[in-house]
Amino acid sequence: MELAIVSLVVLSITSAISFRFKYAGLAGALLAVFIMAINNPLLMLVLIIALLNLASLDLMKGFLRGVDYGLVGLIFVSTIYAFYSQNLAFLLAMFVASSVPTYMLVMASDDRIRMEVGVKYITFMVIATVLFIIGSVLMVHSKYTSAEALYYVGFTMLILGLAIEVGVAPFHEWVPDVFDSADPIPVSIIASIAKFVPFVVAFKIISSTSTGSFIPVLIVGTLAVISMLMGNIGALTSQKPARILAYSTVANMGYILAALAVIYKPEFIYLAFAGAMLQLLTNSFGKIGFFLGLKEDAMPRIESYILALSFIGLPPLMGFWSKLYILASLVYSNLIWIAVFLVINSAMSVPYYIRLVRLFEGKLAFRKLAGYLITVSAVIMLITIVPPNWIVESSRILMKYLVIGGV
Amino acid sequence: MESLTLHTITPILWLALFFAPIIASFPIAMIWQVDREIGRKLSLISVIGLFISFLISLHILFSVEEGRYVYPWLTSLGINFVFVVDYLSKYMGALTGFIAFIIGIYGLEYMKEDYRLGWYWFFFNLFTASMLLVVYSDNLFMLLIGWEGLGIASWGLIGHWFRDDDELSYVGVIDRKVGPLRMFWSPSTGGWRAISTIRVGDMPMFLAVAAIFALTGTLDISQIHWGELFEKLGTAGTIILLFAFLMGPFTKSAQLPFSEWLMTAMTGPTTVSALLHSATMVAAGTYLFMRISWYIKPWEIHLPGVEIIYTAVLFLGLISSLYGASVALASRERKVLLAASTMSSLGLMFAVSASSNWVGELGVVVAFWYLITHAFAKATLFLVAGHLIHETHDRFLGGDREVFSKMKLTAIVTLFATITLAGIPPLTAYWVKSAMDEALHELIPHFSYLPLLLLIAISAIYSAFLAKFFTLNFWKGRHVHLHLHGGGLMKLAYTLMASMLILLLFSIYSGLDEHSGEFLHAGIAITSFAVGLIVSGSYIAGFVKPEYESVVGRILYDRVYVMALNDYIASRIGWFFVEILDSFSKLIDNITHSIIPDIFEILSIAIRRIQDGSLERYAKMVVGLALLALLISSAAGWL
Repeated sequence: MELAIVSLVVLSITSAISFRFKYAGLAGALLAVFIMAINNPLLMLVLIIALLNLASLDLMKGFLRGVDYGLVGLIFVSTIYAFYSQNLAFLLAMFVASSVPTYMLVMASDDRIRMEVGVKYITFMVIATVLFIIGSVLMVHSKYTSAEALYYVGFTMLILGLAIEVGVAPFHEWVPDVFDSADPIPVSIIASIAKFVPFVVAFKIISSTSTGSFIPVLIVGTLAVISMLMGNIGALTSQKPARILAYSTVANMGYILAALAVIYKPEFIYLAFAGAMLQLLTNSFGKIGFFLGLKEDAMPRIESYILALSFIGLPPLMGFWSKLYILASLVYSNLIWIAVFLVINSAMSVPYYIRLVRLFEGKLAFRKLAGYLITVSAVIMLITIVPPNWIVESSRILMKYLVIGGV
Repeated sequence: MESLTLHTITPILWLALFFAPIIASFPIAMIWQVDREIGRKLSLISVIGLFISFLISLHILFSVEEGRYVYPWLTSLGINFVFVVDYLSKYMGALTGFIAFIIGIYGLEYMKEDYRLGWYWFFFNLFTASMLLVVYSDNLFMLLIGWEGLGIASWGLIGHWFRDDDELSYVGVIDRKVGPLRMFWSPSTGGWRAISTIRVGDMPMFLAVAAIFALTGTLDISQIHWGELFEKLGTAGTIILLFAFLMGPFTKSAQLPFSEWLMTAMTGPTTVSALLHSATMVAAGTYLFMRISWYIKPWEIHLPGVEIIYTAVLFLGLISSLYGASVALASRERKVLLAASTMSSLGLMFAVSASSNWVGELGVVVAFWYLITHAFAKATLFLVAGHLIHETHDRFLGGDREVFSKMKLTAIVTLFATITLAGIPPLTAYWVKSAMDEALHELIPHFSYLPLLLLIAISAIYSAFLAKFFTLNFWKGRHVHLHLHGGGLMKLAYTLMASMLILLLFSIYSGLDEHSGEFLHAGIAITSFAVGLIVSGSYIAGFVKPEYESVVGRILYDRVYVMALNDYIASRIGWFFVEILDSFSKLIDNITHSIIPDIFEILSIAIRRIQDGSLERYAKMVVGLALLALLISSAAGWL
């Protein structure tokens, strides 16, 4: 983890310089992310997400130009750190460090500062952060003191914090509003790279403190099902692309939360974690592609179909495998009811994804950079033509870092 | 089952027997769509195919040893190609081959102007081949293949004139209605009716065959240990199994109440009626009953279940026969009269075969001889009827002495066939009917005089309507316009057919057949002679007064409204199910097309309505929900 310190130093120096030279920020961020890049395919893909986010910033103008690179870099670094850290304090710090940069990013736009969106977003994030942090501390504490009642309160707070942070229904109110009224580029960052840390940290804390009780599974499962249903049903009649994508995010967060329910069966956590991470990757690449399309109000045709079909879960695209792994882990853990809901929801999502693609039909006037980035996103959806055993391998490696110290 | 020995013979003989007619019909069936002029000439090839089958059936009759011929197919399931040559099948095969060939010759002239010869010859030859398969099969599975071939071919042939555009091809008086019933039927209706009625019987029959296979592990009729099977099943089981099995023969042979399809089958070409009513189709039902009785040997099994079934068949046959004879007596259409008479004869065959339960093997033999006699006579009469329809352009009975003088040969053949079939001594059917009298006479200890009296009544009515057929067509009928042209092949065909009756008579007199002595013995009995006199008397009465108007006659003319079952009751039941299914289908449509989408739309709008943009409301909502959740979890934790 010495590498992380080095990259943090590089980032802060170059960010400072970037006030004079715009691309110094970019160079520093790139350097920082390469320092963190290791021989782990999952993390490599997270890196690619970060790079796509960084490159997409070039499509923006406005007050934050330059600094924004550093902010994205910070999210990435904290993401990688969160994967490896086994220390509660650091994990919580990374949670904050990956969240706070989005507060600024969400207000950025080509012409002005979007204060109203910012206030809305920050309000929710603050509530989420507070709940999450207090909840995790309570959980660790109650595990240490064997206070069961306190554990449930802590667990509830953590899940509430997580739900509000990533936008799980019924705590998703900010998502459609922010996705619709903020600039698409910052939204693509919020919807992609910034989603990893909350889930990784939640995985670590819950699995480290798990008592083997079924009540948390019930809470998480119920919330996951509600989120899938509300997200998908909400998207069915939405007309604006940004709102369709917002509800799609709510549904996707439901799928990932479902993987968290597997935690009471330690032998299948690696599979659930692999599924959750792959679903996060699918969601990230898809959201980056579509929000870039929204920014340009145009998308290359074939790429848009690949992204939508991957969201739907058509084999052999990435979205199929992620759902498959989550389903497998749920079935192995005897959580058939969640699996059934997941399948039903998957089918339910077909019409609106297709409608989303249709909304872009015939619109081809995008900037070159946007076109390239969308194409890269779509091509990555295709790498799972070879069954992605690597995600399971990565997941197994990261399982070594699952249990946090001091518990 | 012990008497049949296994033999081997080249399978090519069997293949040629069954496939020669079918393959011979391919040229015309295929060329017809392309060139009709060439097609017409190819009819001859089809008839040659029938001739080959006929020759092979003769070869089997004279030079093939009795026994079983087994060719392995699905040995693991006990399903093989098993053919049997025994007393029944060797005569029946030759009969089928001969009649089909002769009618084929007749058809060369009768059908030469037809608009669908490819269709006609293909189904005609398929019909013959299917019947031969039914005749020679020992394996029930093989038999069912032929059985189904008969079904599909009968549909094709009865509905041959599918355009329904020729009054001559209808049955009944066009536009006549009685209550809700339309009393006229088109060829397409006739075809549909035939196959739909037969299906009703075929389905239970399939299940019965499946049950036999499941219970005995074999489907070879001659190898099944019927006695053991029935003992295992008990009385109720035996009744259910045999009744289900016999539903096939009952519907195929048009016994009550499944008789209507046979009447409206007259919408097909006359050649088809002739074949259908003599050696194939309807004969298949009675033949199958004789065949299984031959091997069940009910006279050796004394089980109540078997006895109940044979009693039921006896009386069902007699009642059907009486009904058929009465309807024939009241009929005004040439072919419908003959159709009803066929039904009557089939009833007698069933009844006499069933009497074997009490009188032994002789019952089956007599019924089988009656089948043969009836086949030749009925084929002759149908061919004559076809010729008359051809020359008069009229399907109703009609013709005065002018017809007699201008069509002398036809009239004489008809007279000979009618008096022979009626049972007037000393002609062919007299001897056979005498044996039938004798068989039913032996039932007196079991059922008193009822069966015998019914038989005598049926014979008298039968004789009367045969006289009516002759006299109303050639002697006392209304005046008709004759359009005489050609007819050589047709005359040849029915003359040959009628001459077979003389051959049969000869074989009875000369003792050619092992059973002819029994017929002669029965014929010289006093009672038999008395019955012969009654029959002769009724023939004369029918000749003198062929028409008599009465209320009973009108009801019989309308066939006692049995068609209501097909046209009214069955269709009402059918529509009832259709409506249930339709409303179910509509319900599904409604749920999937309206209700589910509507629910989801309402839900979706409700979910989206949350987003009113007010941060204050959002915050209240989220914080409220979060506090509620915490409250619940704290409470749960304390508990």
